[in-house]
Amino acid sequence: MKNKGVLLLTLTLVLGLLAGCGGGSGGGNAGSGAKGDPASANSAGTADAAASGGKTTVQFWHSLGGKNGEYMDALIQRFNESHNDIEVVGTYQGGYDETVTKLQQAVASDTAPDVTMLERAYVQMFADSEVLEDLAPYLKGSGISADDFTAGLMGHSYFNDQLVSLPLNRSTPILHVNKTLLDEQGLKVPTTWEELKNAANALVVKEGNEYKRYGLTMPYDTWYPIAMISQSGGRFFNEESTSVGFVDNGVGQEVFGYLKELQGTGALYYPPAQDSGNIVNSMFVEGKVGMMFQSTGSIGGLSSSVDFDYVTAFLPKNDQFANPTGGANVAMLAGSKNKEAAWEFIRWMETDPQGGLQFILQSGYLPFTKQMVESAEMKELWAKEPNRKVAYDQLQYAVDTNMDVAWPEVMHEFFSAIEAIMYDSKDIAATLDTFKKEAERILAE
Amino acid sequence: MNTLDSSYFNWLKSAVGIAFKIVILAVFIFPFLWMISTSLQTFRETLAFPPTWIPAVPQWGNFAEAMRAGPFLTYAKNSLIITVSIIVIQFAVMIPAAYAFAKYRFALKNVLFGLVLLAFMIPGQITFIPVYLMMADMDLIHTLWPQIIPFMSNAFGIFLLRQYFMQIPEEIIEAARLDNAGEWKLVRKIMIPMAKPALATIALFSFVSHWNEYFWPLVMTNSASIRPLTLGISMLRETEGISNWHIIMAGNVVLVIPILIVYLFCSKQIVKAFVYSGIK
Repeated sequence: MKNKGVLLLTLTLVLGLLAGCGGGSGGGNAGSGAKGDPASANSAGTADAAASGGKTTVQFWHSLGGKNGEYMDALIQRFNESHNDIEVVGTYQGGYDETVTKLQQAVASDTAPDVTMLERAYVQMFADSEVLEDLAPYLKGSGISADDFTAGLMGHSYFNDQLVSLPLNRSTPILHVNKTLLDEQGLKVPTTWEELKNAANALVVKEGNEYKRYGLTMPYDTWYPIAMISQSGGRFFNEESTSVGFVDNGVGQEVFGYLKELQGTGALYYPPAQDSGNIVNSMFVEGKVGMMFQSTGSIGGLSSSVDFDYVTAFLPKNDQFANPTGGANVAMLAGSKNKEAAWEFIRWMETDPQGGLQFILQSGYLPFTKQMVESAEMKELWAKEPNRKVAYDQLQYAVDTNMDVAWPEVMHEFFSAIEAIMYDSKDIAATLDTFKKEAERILAE
Repeated sequence: MNTLDSSYFNWLKSAVGIAFKIVILAVFIFPFLWMISTSLQTFRETLAFPPTWIPAVPQWGNFAEAMRAGPFLTYAKNSLIITVSIIVIQFAVMIPAAYAFAKYRFALKNVLFGLVLLAFMIPGQITFIPVYLMMADMDLIHTLWPQIIPFMSNAFGIFLLRQYFMQIPEEIIEAARLDNAGEWKLVRKIMIPMAKPALATIALFSFVSHWNEYFWPLVMTNSASIRPLTLGISMLRETEGISNWHIIMAGNVVLVIPILIVYLFCSKQIVKAFVYSGIK
């Protein structure tokens, strides 16, 4: 008898909670007569305009968590406060890759957002499926020129002469230097591979068989080898995108040969794949390594935690200075039903002084319009934190040679090649040869 | 001489046993200690290398900071609703199903049971896209249902419970039937009490796996108001740059506490059930 009562109670409770929450899930904008009626509240998220007094709801998906997520939320709030007729609902959709998965299924089921953040390397893939809106007419309509944007960050914006995305939270790899350690050894900040090799070797401290300090490190990522390939005059994909552009010309051999040589003397610490970004950051902060290739996204965190003279510099050159870019762009979905409002949000975020500029100042991502670069606030920040200016200045050498629809797939193969060479010390030439064949197979598909 | 040898041997055996238990305990408890330690550190301490074990000044404020980073009350409420609903519904489906598979004879019984086992072997990563499309079709994407409906039946639970029910002697059931006990009463008075250890085990596993679920809610939800705690905590992580691990770990401690409570409760039940059940 007692048991039955408990069971009934639990069931009622659960069902009650379910019903209650169904009503609540439609979100704050369902303030009209929808209370207590789950069915109508549930659809409030999609069919918006009528319910909330002529306000158009723009769904915006992004991939920013932590502090940067808070800065993005603040940006959205500023937009909503300054626009009476548009309500932007920003939602975190996991990391970059997870956002891509979610977009794919959402496009297929017609539940996609109006505007989305998209990691730059995936822009081509989505543009190829014709799900991104061409922004050129909107840009023209608002009197904005594509030349108003930072040139080095526009590499992933075009697809078949369509402007399918605009830069948003963009970063680039840079050299982070513990200048205190370099000064102790009487070394200057390296600008060439040769100087980098000498400095990295000079920083090594070895006690018995154990390295107490390394010279250089970098996260386990394709970004850094790609940077070094373009510094040596190679390209990741060749111009025609039929093959890779660094194997037959010996550039790959040179890059990985250089890395293996440094690794052999303790001048390079190549971290384990899992959590490599955190590992190298903590080693750098603790002075266990003197120099690090790492994203500009780390400048803020490092500045606030190091207790030595910390400077940034361009990635050293081999034949030339060169660096890829990273981070994400913003795009409008072609299936959006609120394109005018969606564009207003993108336009405001890209160009309004209260929009992206504040977000860039707070987060430390790269300024993406000339207006931002010339703003008094940016100049003031750079005067205070010259490390951030270096990151922007390096963009004059920005070059992205891994742009192709097939990149996400080829990337996995490239990771395997990096693992084989850096961890298992497999023969460089043979490994790259295998990689090249795989890449060609994927590109031919 | 001989007795001395054997007592020495016994002593050695138990010492080795204890040593092994300590090693295993350490392996299991280490991540928890690490999590708790990190949750009380400052940002600078989390970056230290070699890692800090005991924070200089415990930073209790990390918990408040983690909880302020998003609508955590909503997340916690959603997690609770989803997990409890799943368990209640699973039990409602599982007990009759397992009873039927264990004690009834009907056409295609083995084929149907095979289908149950098949369901148990298909990972969510294969079904999430069709399920999402289906849920979108039914206009349920803005509700909690997509996180509940796919888990209404628990194939592993049916399998485990069926094994348990099969062990209950036919004679007990016959006797109950002779006393005019209906099927419902039979299940309630005989089957369920005798299968308590299995039920507690299934409840525990089900709770832990759905409470900790990350992938499924991520792909099934598009807005914060219907998301569970796990997603709220993953949002504390930076996409690029240096993450605030002390805040993330504070969030994780909050996430894990209900699991520990349920575990403590369930483990007691399991022991109790073993002691009281007449068979074995």
